[in-house]
Amino acid sequence: MIGEPIARVWHVTLGIGAVLLLLIAYTILSMRQHRENPDDKTIPSWSQLSEGVKKSVEVNQRSNERWVVADAQATSLRLFWGVFWGVSGSLLIGMLMGCFAFVEAFLYPPLAFLAKIPPIALLAVFFVLAGTGETMYVTMIAFGVLPTLAQTVYLAVKEVPAELRYKAYTLGASHLEIIWNVLLRHVLPKLIDAIRLQIGPAMVYLIAAEMVVGDVGFGYRIRLQFKLLNMSVVYPYIVVLGAFGFGIDYALRKLQAFVSPWYAKGY
Amino acid sequence: MDQPASLAIDCLSHGFGTKPVLHDVQLRILRGQIVALVGPSGCGKSTLLRAIVGTHLPRQGTVTVFSGNSHLTGHVVEGPGRDRGIVYQHYSLFPFLTAVENVAFGLMLDQTNISYRLFKFPRWLKRRAEHLKQAREFLDRVGLGSAASLYPSEMSGGMCQRVAVAQALIMKPALLLLDEPFGALDEAMREELQRMLLGLYQENLAARRKGELEPHTMFIVTHELNEALYVGDRVVGLSQYWDWRQAGHAQPPGATVVYDCSAPIFEPDDTRDFSCFAGQREEIRDVVFNPDSAYPREKHLRYWQELEQQREAEPAP
Amino acid sequence: MGRIIIFAVCAAALAQTAFAAKPPVFSLAWSEYPSWSAFGVCHETGLINGAAGKLGSIEEKWGVDIELKEAEYDPCIAMYGAGQTDAVCITNMDVLNASLSRPGVAILATSTSYGADACIVSSAIADVKDLKGKKVRGLALSVSEYCFARNLQILGEDPAEYTFVNMDPGAAALAMQQKQADFDAIVVWNPFVLDTLNQRKDCHVLFDSSSIPNEIIDMVVMSESALQKPKGKEFASAVADAFYALNKRMADATTRDDTLIALGEKFSNLDLQSMRKVVQQTKFYATPEEATKLFDSAELKDTMTKVVDFCVKMEIVAKKPVVAFGAGATGNLVFDPAYIAAAAAKP
Repeated sequence: MIGEPIARVWHVTLGIGAVLLLLIAYTILSMRQHRENPDDKTIPSWSQLSEGVKKSVEVNQRSNERWVVADAQATSLRLFWGVFWGVSGSLLIGMLMGCFAFVEAFLYPPLAFLAKIPPIALLAVFFVLAGTGETMYVTMIAFGVLPTLAQTVYLAVKEVPAELRYKAYTLGASHLEIIWNVLLRHVLPKLIDAIRLQIGPAMVYLIAAEMVVGDVGFGYRIRLQFKLLNMSVVYPYIVVLGAFGFGIDYALRKLQAFVSPWYAKGY
Repeated sequence: MDQPASLAIDCLSHGFGTKPVLHDVQLRILRGQIVALVGPSGCGKSTLLRAIVGTHLPRQGTVTVFSGNSHLTGHVVEGPGRDRGIVYQHYSLFPFLTAVENVAFGLMLDQTNISYRLFKFPRWLKRRAEHLKQAREFLDRVGLGSAASLYPSEMSGGMCQRVAVAQALIMKPALLLLDEPFGALDEAMREELQRMLLGLYQENLAARRKGELEPHTMFIVTHELNEALYVGDRVVGLSQYWDWRQAGHAQPPGATVVYDCSAPIFEPDDTRDFSCFAGQREEIRDVVFNPDSAYPREKHLRYWQELEQQREAEPAP
Repeated sequence: MGRIIIFAVCAAALAQTAFAAKPPVFSLAWSEYPSWSAFGVCHETGLINGAAGKLGSIEEKWGVDIELKEAEYDPCIAMYGAGQTDAVCITNMDVLNASLSRPGVAILATSTSYGADACIVSSAIADVKDLKGKKVRGLALSVSEYCFARNLQILGEDPAEYTFVNMDPGAAALAMQQKQADFDAIVVWNPFVLDTLNQRKDCHVLFDSSSIPNEIIDMVVMSESALQKPKGKEFASAVADAFYALNKRMADATTRDDTLIALGEKFSNLDLQSMRKVVQQTKFYATPEEATKLFDSAELKDTMTKVVDFCVKMEIVAKKPVVAFGAGATGNLVFDPAYIAAAAAKP
């Protein structure tokens, strides 16, 4: 029957089965490619992959650092500051729009328009406006996520029932307290949900930019190793990227449960 | 004994666009009363309530609230303020706060400000503990001591409304406004909450006997006639059906107070016998709710007269 | 329903026989670059038809079907490495790594960088020594870095004392043109060299690839295994033939400008005047003789040793590829002039 629940055992078994199936499919694909060309590097065998992993994790002779560590550091710092400024800006703008009809009328049209432009298309514009240094990554991510997040904040503020604002006033709240203690508390979990969704696109802009102008970072390494046909490095890096995204998502969910325990309880 | 006034509404008129809603509303509520406001749907009950809360100010006329701990001073309503508590039918509680936090919310907002809470954090924590203790006492009073740590989404509608009442009461408002507070509840739950209000009224009577200021003054908007007569000690009817042609209007000028009489007083433990006020109920139906009735608007405003008679009957202490 | 199936089976069978009669398809991956865009222009002029299943005049002459696959340079390399194309337009340096997993034969040299890769510096830099402590930006582990390192070597400098920082040449040129802070030197290739010099008159070329002629070579490399397939050698010859046919059009005064414009159309927004300069700086091996001379020269062996050593040192290759010369030689990369000669012998 449609929608019928299954036992937990099945859940786990099927999940593991799917992963196994993927691994088996890859092994077959790789074996077939190596039958054609024993020296193939594009679909590396498991032993080639472990070589690639070693290369990424060990201290590199020439640069004297561990690739994965250096890249993870660079990429996550860029992502963090980009998202940080994007979130700060969107909170400010979204709050102002939600609270003041003047700001709303002024900012809504451009924001709605900007939210529809994929920032990847703006990459060239960011190179021109923000240079090619670390500021560029941060600016790009910040502006990339800002329109959508600001809209989320704005809509979340609008969703707060007027009664709750009135109520808070009757309890002696100041205007600032309405924003800080009522609206912000309402907006936070929804903002975190939106950030979770925006991390994906933010990573896309970041990796794309790193591929073009980076001298360290996941995107840089993947492009370089791709050109050198070292897919045994590229694939583990892609897995690391997936884990990276997964980790961020997990952390954000934990953060949400911490700052807004009420939200998870089915408000 | 002379009861001071808690609320005075003078010459209040309001309308939306060109459509008049309220016409020349006059109302005076005394300290310690439970006034039930009834009227046909769309007559402007909520508009009147909003004018009192201060979120939507009237076009004409004033609302004056008298507040204070021992000596009452009046001021004209210009916006929502901490001297008037409100319990809405929905959205009375903040979903992101637990029951006890909801009750303590007013103490926090009223007694501290953001910079105090941020920059004098240790002191705030101590203060916070006091607030929560006080809030717990209030929760106990509405019978919800055990639900302190539940979020609104985890409580039933009736529990939420009890918490909402506690949340408003902790501010010791000069006037507690209730906007169809039990409209969304089932019958049993509603009865329980009505008894709770009657319990609060008993606190008023006790305070009056001791010669103190009555702690609770309530203005409850309801569409339920039985509820109005059962809970209120005075019923006010707002209606657009009155003899406005006689008063010289060419167009309907809007609703005004057409009924104002005292209601029987019940104690929480009394059996709920609605038959005893069947006559008054029929009268209100006719005067307030019947579109074909056209009585002069002053005809059924008997309250002040009745009060006078009552005082004469009661020997002065 | 049944009829449809019968029809489909018949159609498939028909197609099968039709294909069997057709010449075999070999693919060539190319990216926009002056001497490689030649193949794109060949398609436009009808010398070859880049679609599989359709033949141009040269394809008919050799009895092979050339399928052109255009992509960016990096994906071209990946395509070749993954065996998704039989031949690829690639430099003598980038092919080394790919040749380790897929042995190949250089069937044609199309051009050499003779100023097309350059180190452009601001007026603050007068001497190569001024570059010490500054960031020199360009695509890492590419011909740019090779050109940089080789020139330092010629000038008697130690590359270890200089900082080469990775950046896409397009982005680096843009940043240079914008005079962004901390941008004093870039190593890029055309069209970015000419473009940057046009936009910033205060910049000058510190050194370029004209000091290392015939070291950065643009070529067509075909995989060994594809070459051994039936008609593989004809394909190699046809590619060379098409390239020389186009060069004849460039040599002819009546079609020269037309061809130049066609070559430069997607390459850059440079005008005809600049395109003339581009083809000077990207010196075409316009005749079979020139290419054969290169393939037979001792100089090439010397060059490849240098390039291989550079690649080993920079860890571009995991192990040293074997580079061999002449027909019949074996190795990871073989420079074989036989197909150039075959094209020249069958006018």
